[in-house]
Amino acid sequence: MSPSNRKLRLYVTISQRLFRDSLLFQLLLHSDIDLVGESESGIDTLNRLESSKPGVLIIEENLQDNDGLTIAENALSLHPTLSVLLISDTPVSASRLAIYLEAGIKAVVSKHQPIQELVKTLFYIRNGQVYVGAWNKPDKPSQGVVNAYHALSGREREVAQLIASRTPIKEIAAQLGVSCKTVHSYKDRIFIKLGFERLPELILFMKRHHNGAAA
Amino acid sequence: MAITEEPQIFLRYDSKRALTAFEEEFGNNLNIDAFESDQAAIAALKECSAPPHALFILASQPSSQGNSPLLTHARDAHPGLLKILISDAVPLDVLVSLLEKRLIDRCFEQPLDPDLVRSHVLTSALARKSHENVMPEAKPKDASDEVPTVLIVDDEPAATKYLARQLERMQNDFHVLCADSAEQALEIIQSMPGTLAVIMTDQRMPGMQGKELLDELKQSHPATVRILTSAYGEVNVALDAVNEGGIFRYQKKPWRATELMSLFQEAIARHCALASARESRLSQLEQQFNGLRDQRRELLLKNLSGPVDTAAGAPVMTLFIQALDTIPCLFANTSHLRASLETSLENDLIQQFGEQVHQQLTRLQAAASMHTKVDQASIRAALQRSEEPEYEHRSNAPAPSILLMLCESLTTLLTASGLSWRSLNLSQASGHSLILSCEAPLKLYAHLLAPLTRLSRPFLDQQVALLLLFITTYRLGGELQISGAAQSYNLVLALPLANSPEA
Repeated sequence: MSPSNRKLRLYVTISQRLFRDSLLFQLLLHSDIDLVGESESGIDTLNRLESSKPGVLIIEENLQDNDGLTIAENALSLHPTLSVLLISDTPVSASRLAIYLEAGIKAVVSKHQPIQELVKTLFYIRNGQVYVGAWNKPDKPSQGVVNAYHALSGREREVAQLIASRTPIKEIAAQLGVSCKTVHSYKDRIFIKLGFERLPELILFMKRHHNGAAA
Repeated sequence: MAITEEPQIFLRYDSKRALTAFEEEFGNNLNIDAFESDQAAIAALKECSAPPHALFILASQPSSQGNSPLLTHARDAHPGLLKILISDAVPLDVLVSLLEKRLIDRCFEQPLDPDLVRSHVLTSALARKSHENVMPEAKPKDASDEVPTVLIVDDEPAATKYLARQLERMQNDFHVLCADSAEQALEIIQSMPGTLAVIMTDQRMPGMQGKELLDELKQSHPATVRILTSAYGEVNVALDAVNEGGIFRYQKKPWRATELMSLFQEAIARHCALASARESRLSQLEQQFNGLRDQRRELLLKNLSGPVDTAAGAPVMTLFIQALDTIPCLFANTSHLRASLETSLENDLIQQFGEQVHQQLTRLQAAASMHTKVDQASIRAALQRSEEPEYEHRSNAPAPSILLMLCESLTTLLTASGLSWRSLNLSQASGHSLILSCEAPLKLYAHLLAPLTRLSRPFLDQQVALLLLFITTYRLGGELQISGAAQSYNLVLALPLANSPEA
């Protein structure tokens, strides 16, 4: 559909450089995200909002110079069409969430949630939609992936292991006695089934959840 | 108070299979009561003390929902209840007519995005909670008693101009304006003196699409009633416009002026209801918040006037409160009221601010014994020192001089405004007084008497710094003038030039 084909004009306000960079590296992997500005302080954000005209603002609640939520409220009063995603230090209770939504915040993601959750939320709120994740079930976010992993065929799991250990495709093909093309199609299928887009995601998943045990 | 329980929903289903699939998808997040017939669901709705958070219809035949007794009952008896229709396929005609009868609020085709559907229910459940204690969200809008305006947006100006003229001739209740693109529509809305009552826009236009325009207006002009039109039967666009854009109607093209007459009249009635509800909410919110503000002012003065005025040697607490009163902040909305009424915000504010002030007063007492020389050079030195990253101006830091404490406060306030000591002007007024002013206004986005949603460290630091600036200035025999503007203030500080004999 045409509206979602528009680029997502993103502004990111996070005080710590390391955190901001890590997040941006992840977000900029998505070709339809257009970074129109970034700040480390709330005051700088408000000063530059007018000229950068973002559609979505990701802002940390706890900034150094001013309260992030207050800055977001002010940004909204200047630009009511802005979608704000608030990053909180701690998981947010339902009653707290109600306050945020009434303040015009479109979604809250806590620093305890996986990056995938933030990306997903970002795309839901881009058109001004409110997005609320499940709140009462801390919903082990990776459970779905674990299930998906167990649903892979034996061969697919084998290939996933090899890929995650950074074995070159050629070698995998030789080991399994199939063509490179076949390994590539295994790889594509694995990524689709697990919902991953990039190699580091697969490696991290295998390290965290399987530690070699699934071989 | 908090919604820790799962949202409660009623579900009307046609087939067991659909029910099972639904329960598998949502059973973890929603508390589902399922009914096989309209009668059973209506009976349950009549019995329950509080209506559920949403009513789901899993319809195999969406067209039959047009005269559903359940939906009709829900619409009439529980106007706030979120009604969601889910079906394999929803023909556009059915959607249009359900919308027209106001029988459904959301509509999804299978396969659905469970995260999205759940988010709609949770949002509505949260919003419901807010109605129980405080009024729903409101933003200030200028009300006007003028004749309402309808704006028609279509990239075929010939057709709309004629239609507009026709409509103008048929009645005197509303004006009709035309725009031939979404961009032009936004310009017109921006330049209008009052609020636009109704907008009807075509979906397919060069540049910005109709749906995008409506999404934008939903945010910026929530009281404007939104209608989408299209000559193409794009059910996806219509569904999105209903679910995301919250449109009032979907009007198929070609239009007839007579048809549109009644549509616009209904839409204008809806706009008036929305606008007046907003206005009364606004004044209610304002009243409620004024009460809270008075209470805060009273407590602050009662708790702190004694120690603060003694430390400053002048009635500084009143001056401080008066200064805050001249700095208007954002209008109160439900989020602020809810935070004040349902959380410990009000108590925490008084308590934490009080504690921090007392800590600073203790430091001040220790600092008072130190000799302070007030001249341009020492002020510059103190300002620079307080801005160094390793400079520790926390409560337990060793007591510096009073002048240094004054500069600390200034630095905190300058930093919050994105400024530094370089923006300060220092000048010698007469032989014995030093004038310190800031070339740009300082920012104060929220303060002790403003609507708040939470307490944060920067917020409290700024409030304490401003009070401490008053205290130290007067303690040094000087004078501080704050002139407030919207969320900002100018400050002029006069200090007597001398080797001040303190204490």
